[in-house]
Amino acid sequence: MERHFDEELKDLKEKLIRMSSIVEEMIEKSITALRDREEELIKQVFEKEKTVNMMQIEIDDIAQKMIALRQPAASDLRFIISAIKINADLERIGDLAVNIAERTQTLLKEPPLKPLIDIPRMADISQKMVRESIDSFINKDSKLARDVCKRDDSVDNFNDQIFRELLTYMLQDAKNINRAIGLMLVARYLERIADHATNIGEDVYYIVEGKDIRHHIEDK
Amino acid sequence: MNTKIKVNNLDLWYGTFQALKNVNAAFNEKEITAIIGPSGCGKSTLLRTMNRMNDLIEGVRIEGKILVDYVNILDSKADLINLRKKVGMVFQRPNPFPLSIYENIAFGLRIHDSIKRDELDEAVKQALTQVALWDELKDKLNKSALNLSLEQRQRLCIARLVAVKPDVLLMDEPCSSLDPQATARIEELMRELKNRYTIIIVTHNMQQAARVSDDTGFMLLGELIEFAKTGDIFTKPKDKRTEDYITGRYG
Repeated sequence: MERHFDEELKDLKEKLIRMSSIVEEMIEKSITALRDREEELIKQVFEKEKTVNMMQIEIDDIAQKMIALRQPAASDLRFIISAIKINADLERIGDLAVNIAERTQTLLKEPPLKPLIDIPRMADISQKMVRESIDSFINKDSKLARDVCKRDDSVDNFNDQIFRELLTYMLQDAKNINRAIGLMLVARYLERIADHATNIGEDVYYIVEGKDIRHHIEDK
Repeated sequence: MNTKIKVNNLDLWYGTFQALKNVNAAFNEKEITAIIGPSGCGKSTLLRTMNRMNDLIEGVRIEGKILVDYVNILDSKADLINLRKKVGMVFQRPNPFPLSIYENIAFGLRIHDSIKRDELDEAVKQALTQVALWDELKDKLNKSALNLSLEQRQRLCIARLVAVKPDVLLMDEPCSSLDPQATARIEELMRELKNRYTIIIVTHNMQQAARVSDDTGFMLLGELIEFAKTGDIFTKPKDKRTEDYITGRYG
């Protein structure tokens, strides 16, 4: 039986998808701004954050009303609870993209410290994790969701590697310190973005399978 | 957790119509178990089997076992008087006897026990206290029970049962004729009674099942589809049919 409620759930889902595509674009633009030294893109990231913030409030409001008015149960309930959490994760990812843009703004005031190779690669993986966590959400694909979670380790490894490399630059010359710290922070923001994508993957797994995989609870 | 009632391979036919199909379940002592399901799924039939109310219906045939405290109550030699004292039932429409409030409760006590007048007074007081009617009604005990509000009548019916010290209370849609406030108060009463009695409630109000029960069984077309902790049934049911029913997709 088709329910009116299904329409509302679909609407909620579409709003989250729209929000995620904006957030993804923000990551893309902030990293391109850094890599290609395109200052114009930074302003675009700041602009988009306003939209994301408004959407976060709107989505929470819709989800809250659904719980109050529909008293959802089972998969409906799991979906709405997870939508609220995914909403928060997406908003944080947007904030982190803004953090990268802010850092970039400072970095562009000086000549480049080094050609950027690892950070864009790390950004690719993190961005892909965000996109695929949302794909898994759209398609109720628990396998993809779990796959996203597994990639978190490789992003963590990148972060460590970049950290060590930048440390050598700092040791070489104290004048490098400012820029090296700026890049370290960017790597750190990307690592956090991947963490939020992992959270989304875990939520999607829960929606689809009804099983909690956070903190490796399933192995305990 | 002790099992109070165990249902084993229960089949029931009304004539040629099979109303219960191989039902297996265990009802825990001093817990509330809700049985939910669409109209005609057999939930009331299952409930009535537990104190053999179905015996009154012509053409009924039952196979399988229902163990109350490990004794099969479907046995032809089962002591029905004691069974119905031990396993009492509350119905949809509150149905007090057309007698005084006092006599409604004293009636069952006189049938089941030989009891002195002062003991009777005390038992009536105790029963009314348990259902939180004593303070309201202590000065009106000789008034007719039929003048009470629906909620008071339903409470009185519960008091009438608890007076004879049963172990199990079967409730068949006990709130369906009550308004939301009265319903909330009866649900509160159920939670209090749970400390002393094993309660099994049939309801088609899913929110009510979710609110009051510890375990929930979902029935469909005579089968018990799923039986689990209420928290699990309402968040992650295992069977697709349970999922469809509790999310309102069934129909």
